[in-house]
Amino acid sequence: MSVPDYMQCAEDHQTVLVVVQPVGIVPEDQFFKIYKRIASVSQVSIRDSQRLLYIRYRHHYLPENNEWGDFQTHRKVVGLVCITTCGAAKDWPQTAERFHGQKEVYSSTLYDSRLLVFGLQGEIAEQQRTDVAFYPSFEECADVERRVEDFVESIFIVLESKRLDRATDKSGDKIQLLCVPFEKKDFVGLDTDSRHYKKRCQGRMRKHVGDLCLQAGMLQDALVHYHMAVELLRAVNDFLWLGAALEGLCSASVIFHYPGGTAGKTAARKPSISQPADASKRHRPGALTANGISADTSTEIGRAKNCLSPEDIIDKYKEAISYYGKYKNAGVIELEACVKAVRVLAIQKRAREASEFLQNAVYINLGQLSEEEKIQRYSILSELYELIGFHRKSAFFKRVAAMQCVAPTIPEPGWRACYKLLLETLPGYSLSLDPKDFSKGSHRGWAAVQMRLLHELVYASRRMGNPGLSVRHLSFLLQTMLDFLSDQEKKEVTQSLENYTSKCPGGMEVITLSDGLKLPPVPFTKLPIVRSVKLLNLPASLRPHKVKCLLEQNVSTASPFIYSPIIMHNRGEERCKKIDFQWVQGDVCEVQLMVYNPMPYELRVENMGLLTSGVEFESLPAALSLPAESGLYPVTLVGVPRTAGNITVNGYHTSVFGVSSDCLLEGLPSVKTSGCLVEVIPSLPRLQLSTSLPRSAHTPQPMSKEQLSSSVSVQLFNGEEQQLTITLENIGSEDIESLELTSKTVNTKDKVFGRFLSWDLEEALRHLPLKPGQTVTLSISIKVKLDFSGQENLLPDLNDDGISVTGLPISSPLRQLLKPRAENKAVSSESGKAEYSHIKTLEAVLNFKYTGGAGKVEGYYRELSLGVHVDVEPSVFFTRVSTLPATSTRQCHLLLDIFNPTEHELTVSAKNSKDLVLHPSECQRLAIQVDKFDFESLPQLYQEPASFSSPKQLEEERQHAQGCQINSKLDICWSIISLQKASVEGALNQLVLEHMQLAPLQWDVLVNGKPCDCDVVADCKAGDAVTLEVKLTNLSKNAVGPLTLTVMPYQDFQNGVQNYDLDEAVAFVGSNTFFIDTVKPKESSVCEGALLFLYTGDFYLNMKVQDDSTPRELPLAWFTLPCVHIRALDTPLQAGA
Amino acid sequence: MAVCIAVIAKENYPLYIRSVPSQNELKFHYTVHTSLDVVEEKVSAVGKSLADQRELYLGLLYPTEDYKVYGYVTNSKVKFVIVVDSSNTSLRDNEIRSMFRKLHNSFTDVMCNPFYNPGDPILSKAFNGIVSGMMVQTS
Repeated sequence: MSVPDYMQCAEDHQTVLVVVQPVGIVPEDQFFKIYKRIASVSQVSIRDSQRLLYIRYRHHYLPENNEWGDFQTHRKVVGLVCITTCGAAKDWPQTAERFHGQKEVYSSTLYDSRLLVFGLQGEIAEQQRTDVAFYPSFEECADVERRVEDFVESIFIVLESKRLDRATDKSGDKIQLLCVPFEKKDFVGLDTDSRHYKKRCQGRMRKHVGDLCLQAGMLQDALVHYHMAVELLRAVNDFLWLGAALEGLCSASVIFHYPGGTAGKTAARKPSISQPADASKRHRPGALTANGISADTSTEIGRAKNCLSPEDIIDKYKEAISYYGKYKNAGVIELEACVKAVRVLAIQKRAREASEFLQNAVYINLGQLSEEEKIQRYSILSELYELIGFHRKSAFFKRVAAMQCVAPTIPEPGWRACYKLLLETLPGYSLSLDPKDFSKGSHRGWAAVQMRLLHELVYASRRMGNPGLSVRHLSFLLQTMLDFLSDQEKKEVTQSLENYTSKCPGGMEVITLSDGLKLPPVPFTKLPIVRSVKLLNLPASLRPHKVKCLLEQNVSTASPFIYSPIIMHNRGEERCKKIDFQWVQGDVCEVQLMVYNPMPYELRVENMGLLTSGVEFESLPAALSLPAESGLYPVTLVGVPRTAGNITVNGYHTSVFGVSSDCLLEGLPSVKTSGCLVEVIPSLPRLQLSTSLPRSAHTPQPMSKEQLSSSVSVQLFNGEEQQLTITLENIGSEDIESLELTSKTVNTKDKVFGRFLSWDLEEALRHLPLKPGQTVTLSISIKVKLDFSGQENLLPDLNDDGISVTGLPISSPLRQLLKPRAENKAVSSESGKAEYSHIKTLEAVLNFKYTGGAGKVEGYYRELSLGVHVDVEPSVFFTRVSTLPATSTRQCHLLLDIFNPTEHELTVSAKNSKDLVLHPSECQRLAIQVDKFDFESLPQLYQEPASFSSPKQLEEERQHAQGCQINSKLDICWSIISLQKASVEGALNQLVLEHMQLAPLQWDVLVNGKPCDCDVVADCKAGDAVTLEVKLTNLSKNAVGPLTLTVMPYQDFQNGVQNYDLDEAVAFVGSNTFFIDTVKPKESSVCEGALLFLYTGDFYLNMKVQDDSTPRELPLAWFTLPCVHIRALDTPLQAGA
Repeated sequence: MAVCIAVIAKENYPLYIRSVPSQNELKFHYTVHTSLDVVEEKVSAVGKSLADQRELYLGLLYPTEDYKVYGYVTNSKVKFVIVVDSSNTSLRDNEIRSMFRKLHNSFTDVMCNPFYNPGDPILSKAFNGIVSGMMVQTS
């Protein structure tokens, strides 16, 4: 007996063994169908008694094992059921012959047998036999079960007779010695008459009767017999049989204590061993069921007495096993006893003792085992360990079994079986093949052991010829055990992974094994490790802007609180938080990942792209190569949204070592992100800008570099004008439907006079809508007019020239501060070295707002900004401005000291004046005769109260208007030969304004009703009264007066002598002094008088005004009246007289 | 003396495992790993009988052909496992006990280190030194 039945359990001792075998040609599936039906008859209630007979069916049983039938009767084949097919009557004899041949095999132990014949057509000539049943086909055999029951009953009758026969046999003087096969030769020549021998025979027989009683369903009797047998055998030191008796006692007690059975589900697991499928459902006698209790109470008492307690069962098992252990040939029995004991202990939940039994079982040497038997043995050990809750031990043995499947000694290694067994060990090593279980925190487990197992899985799956599986396992190994792999191992693993993937690329699909186990995909979230994901805004020039809408303002505030110190968001919420910028359909969008490579060598990541949901997104994959042990490394992934809507970046996909993986961010708690949801707005056109001027690196200060799409820079002299041609090209796919241009001057402290940038957009707008690919040009003129007068160091002091100038010197606080002169000089020499210090910079930003396409409908536009950087060099300086009164009060001479700070020859021209040529660093004086202005009469165009809120603005605007007028009057231009003509404004305006303004008190002198000014000679006749009318118009804001006006005639002899003594020549009609009462603003006062010139001649009238009002604050210039020149002529009347 | 010493966390993953360098390390991993079954069984048995709770020493977990495996469980359910050579018969139960006590003391020192995160692998040099002292001297 060499093949142990690992499925044995204690209750098998009460079963009778029936072998069911096919004879002749029987289809396997049909055989097993019938077998199953037969096996369903596992317990039969015997008529006329309350006993139950249990049957154990086997379709395969070694005759060798059968020889141990005397030792333990449940090992004895007592019944044989043969299944055969027989097509025709003529085949029948042959079939019958085969049946008999089969019977011969077990003939020594067989009680009864049956033959089931299927498929027979027609009649058999032979007489009806009880042991043969005919069925027309495998389907039409309704009474198979009934027949089996009959058969079992017949077995029972034999069994019962044998039991009775043996039980009552003891009076006979000669008892047969029962023995096991290996004992037979030992007893040859033994004295059969000795007492010792007799006792041995008795004991063995008693034990045998106990077995029979147990099988026959008489538990109580069995217990009694076993007890007696134990006593008898112990006395004669027949250890093997003592062990068997003890085991019988244990079995009977187990059957009594655990009617539910000890095999549990494990018994039904292996169909090859052919334990009946419903074994566990078997009903046991001796239980406190109606069946058992209904028996007379005396047996009940006896049972309790003879039955072993649960603790005793184990002790007795131990004892039995120790006796078995004495016999080398009883290894199988010992092993089976161990297994049975373990099952009992498992029921008793005494795992530790069970493990001791198992430990013992491991060391039982069964001699030379075949590889298959070894595998079976390890598997069963594993199962038993599992049964007692030793999962790790179970996994260990399962793994050993797996390794045994592919032992080098096996000619055809069973890689498939090995792989299957290895998979079963996974729970024992607390390893799941789902990488999600490993993403939480650091790895917790037996890395070394787990790694080994994974390596074995990889190898087994590869040898199985399933590279997909090995790739999956290897990926898993690499992903989950990365921290535990040494550098060398990392290299090896990745190399083999690359080898495998060259044959079978790894993907993200779930691999389903044939037994339904699903292998989830393994995304390489650690190759490379991603630390943060950041969605990037579009570059400034492509950013969409929403047309301002008042309702839009308070949409974003979801909370009712304006401010709360408690920030209620968690990470998860942050993920789905919407980012406050937009992406545009059809434009390339970027996501920045910070990654690093944990590998000790360069990592090549291919096909790295984004995983998104929400809108159609075309991901443009990138390939990157990360250096070994790199630090954080920024990677930008790009893609183009193809539709509008909300897009969520869910993760990224990579392809590393030929394994493509989709890494979802939600599974990566270590990834930092500031939100992954962004709105994609409908497509907008794109504009590209090119300019005629060179690009520059300058950026206006308040703007960041990225806000500007480009920037130009130009160097100009003050006052110079330059054309900037901008070419706009539509490089997008949408029509540009509208275009706006605004400019903003930034970063300047200096006041700019005039329009810095001016353009005419009309021409460009005429080209709209601009189709993709089309261009439009726009011309912008840049004009710089700055006030350089503050630049002290460039002002040579004109006083040094000795030119005396009346009027106001241009003075600034700075200048006054820099006195005394010596210091001033020092400063100037110093700053002269810093060559460009006097260059002023003007910066402005041109903003192109454009929109079109679907985005326009949604109310979005784009802005393109062009920075304009102008370095302004001083051109002409007006170092000193003064005026000289002209002959007329309405005119004056403007004197300008002009300095040329440039290195070029300058020509300055002005209206009514000839050109003035200035050499570099030369200063000359230019005199211009100009009319004074009446600024009050300027058109009130800019003074709409609505447009200017503050008085300051109003004032500025007024000054600007004045400046314009001055400029147009003066028209001072300068030119450098090489450059264009340019005008200078601005600087002058404020300076000359005061001088050139008409006094607010306007005096009009009328002689004989005719207006009279300096150069006009009024004619009159001597002797006639000349009416003199002086009209004062108050244009100032305040009332003036009272005033006293005195008229004094005089004669100018043209030699510097003025004769005021003209009392005889001129007579006043009335007073020569007029009193002018207070004149309110905008009002006028007229005083009239008359003069009588007695002689002919040229007379002048000097009119003086004296301010009688107490605070004399009005400037003198306000009271300058024109000098009236009157020529008195002879009257014709006089001539006649 | 010992051929393998392991410290196993409450959640049954190794915090520290060290074996005699000359031999197959993986084998000891398997040995210690499977011994956990017995440890768990013993610990759960102890849990049932509260009176016995103060005894941390679990005794012999199981003998194998070549080795004897001893176990010890702290009150915080951290397990110590010491594997000794079966051939070394001079070792008494008392000596094993004292080894465990020493190990426990050293482990307590490790836990007292404010820079040590409970649950992390033990990298302490002092602990390593103690363990080295207990390991068999290859002489």
